[in-house]
Amino acid sequence: MWHRGQDLETAVQVETVVRRVLSEVLGVSAARAEAFNADTGLFGALPEFDSMAVMSVLTELEDQLGILIEDDEVDGDMLATFGALTAFVAAKQSR
Amino acid sequence: MIDHYDWSGGREAMLRFGPDVGPVVIMLLPLFDEHNRTRTFGVAIARALAEAGIATALPDLPGQGESTTPTELATLEAWQQAVVAVIDAVSGRGAPHLAVMRGAAVLDGAPGTKSIWRLAPIPGRAVLNDLRRAEAVSGRKDWSAFGLDSPPANLVGNELGWPLYAALDAHDALDTRDVPLRTVRLDNDPAVADLKLSGTPLWRRAEPGHDAALAARLAQDLADWVRRCDG
Repeated sequence: MWHRGQDLETAVQVETVVRRVLSEVLGVSAARAEAFNADTGLFGALPEFDSMAVMSVLTELEDQLGILIEDDEVDGDMLATFGALTAFVAAKQSR
Repeated sequence: MIDHYDWSGGREAMLRFGPDVGPVVIMLLPLFDEHNRTRTFGVAIARALAEAGIATALPDLPGQGESTTPTELATLEAWQQAVVAVIDAVSGRGAPHLAVMRGAAVLDGAPGTKSIWRLAPIPGRAVLNDLRRAEAVSGRKDWSAFGLDSPPANLVGNELGWPLYAALDAHDALDTRDVPLRTVRLDNDPAVADLKLSGTPLWRRAEPGHDAALAARLAQDLADWVRRCDG
């Protein structure tokens, strides 16, 4: 059964939280985080997004969204862009 | 003022703020990398407490902060002994209050304190999980072979001996205490707290930052708490 309205709401909420957590951890302004789009590069593109920052972002996302991310799910692909990270988290959230 | 304290394993630095009389807060900053990100923040809270007439002692634990003790020699027992030594050093003015941030909550069971105030506390295992996850992004993922006979392990630049690793891993929940306890968290943190405040989780910052408004608000809450516990 489909719940499209609910899915959309979840997706918007996830995107808001991912933006906020990236802004908090990377120390970028809310305005700059607001301008991130699906293609904005993260891991490998932003110098401040090192392994420690990756950990901080994933752990904050877990705490704030009540999801669990296994370390072996973490790879360069799901961290490559804002869109990839948001999609990964949204898939977790909807489970 | 830069002071020091002596514990069984040596001498460590301790910053002192505020008046020479009245209540004292011992402030324990977060562990490992989070420590360096919150030092400015901790000092700002201590300065605001001083203005409110409350003294603060901000010690370096062995192997943390500016300590010259190698991190791989740090153990939970050494940290506990160091905290007891700090309590002894400031207790001439009556039992001190203990303020702990994040993973320093593993150390707030030290005897001789009047109250405990926790900021965004996490158990030792959560501290270790953060380090293991950061290490897993680019390095070691499997820790099953790490044991008593292993050399210290490097976790994203922190050399940890097995005893400290095992002690943190065993601490899987925050402890209840038999002195008055207050927990403050940020409002994005869903865990239980007595007070939730909006602000920046500076301990997560990739580069050290500051949140002056949050520091001022926390100092106010801590000052009120100390006065209340002192009755």
